[in-house]
Amino acid sequence: MMTAKTKFTIIYIATLIGILLWIGALFYAPYLKSISSPFSRFLYAVFSPTCHQNPSRCFYAFGNPVAVCSRCLGIYAGFFLGTLIFPLVKGLSTPVMPKAKTLILLSIPIFIDATGNLVGLWTSPIWVRFLTGFIWAIILPFYFLAGLADYILHKRKHSKLA
Amino acid sequence: MSEQRPGMFVPALIGGVVAGILSGIPIVNCLCCLWIIGGGILAAYFLTKESPVVLTAGDGAIVGIFTGIIAALVETVVNIPFRALSEKIVQGMMDRFSQYYEEMPSGWESWLEGRDFEGSVIWSFLGLVVSVVIFSALGALGGIIGISLFGKKKAAQKNEGVVDVSEDTSDRQS
Repeated sequence: MMTAKTKFTIIYIATLIGILLWIGALFYAPYLKSISSPFSRFLYAVFSPTCHQNPSRCFYAFGNPVAVCSRCLGIYAGFFLGTLIFPLVKGLSTPVMPKAKTLILLSIPIFIDATGNLVGLWTSPIWVRFLTGFIWAIILPFYFLAGLADYILHKRKHSKLA
Repeated sequence: MSEQRPGMFVPALIGGVVAGILSGIPIVNCLCCLWIIGGGILAAYFLTKESPVVLTAGDGAIVGIFTGIIAALVETVVNIPFRALSEKIVQGMMDRFSQYYEEMPSGWESWLEGRDFEGSVIWSFLGLVVSVVIFSALGALGGIIGISLFGKKKAAQKNEGVVDVSEDTSDRQS
């Protein structure tokens, strides 16, 4: 019978592999495009629900735009780094969510940048979009893993839909 | 006496509809996945508002998943009438580019091809399935964050490391 720590370790590894595959797919799409593979169109379409994919807002790889914009790429990269450092900060025993003020502090740059761009005050360069997304997303795995662990390890106690 | 946990459908519906509409409107949807996470946070807010008991991160994940599913459905529907409008916007941008640039920036062709790719019914359905999966994950993340921000603080229970709870003395007898 698996201990809670073992189960959570499995959850953690699955999350790490998942985000690695996700980021890999982001760069696989432009690679497939560079070799004229028809599958590249499908891969770009997979990411289209979550991102406008505007080429002027994307980094380029293999001569083609990455499958998501620079802000989204920053978010996924930050999520990956956060997942990587999670065991060093929290360990792999009882997952605990971070304090709200930490989230709010890390959200300030992306909030200011996104709002300024949305209302037309300025147009940020793609590296700024990447950086603000990256900074914000570092803390997201700490919530994601805590919630996932709580759901899987204590699912008998959760609410029903209605 | 154990208290009932609140139903999740209405909070998920509110969060999902808001997130789906904002994600489906051109220009506004430039915030990408942030709307879906925001929808999850909104759903968690309404869930904690109605809840007489302490909710955990797992509850936030569940309401967030439902929020994401609803958001994907709403976004698909909202996007239909705006698709024609967004085509006009894209055409306008292309026309302006062509006035100032002899050669189009690389990547625009693949972006346009991807938009055509999404136009067929079969791939629209597949896109909906993919949206449901992705939006569910994003919504779950938002729900978890929402519970962290808005969850009630009650007496802490032993070995419940996820949310602090205050001590409940209502059932104690003198």
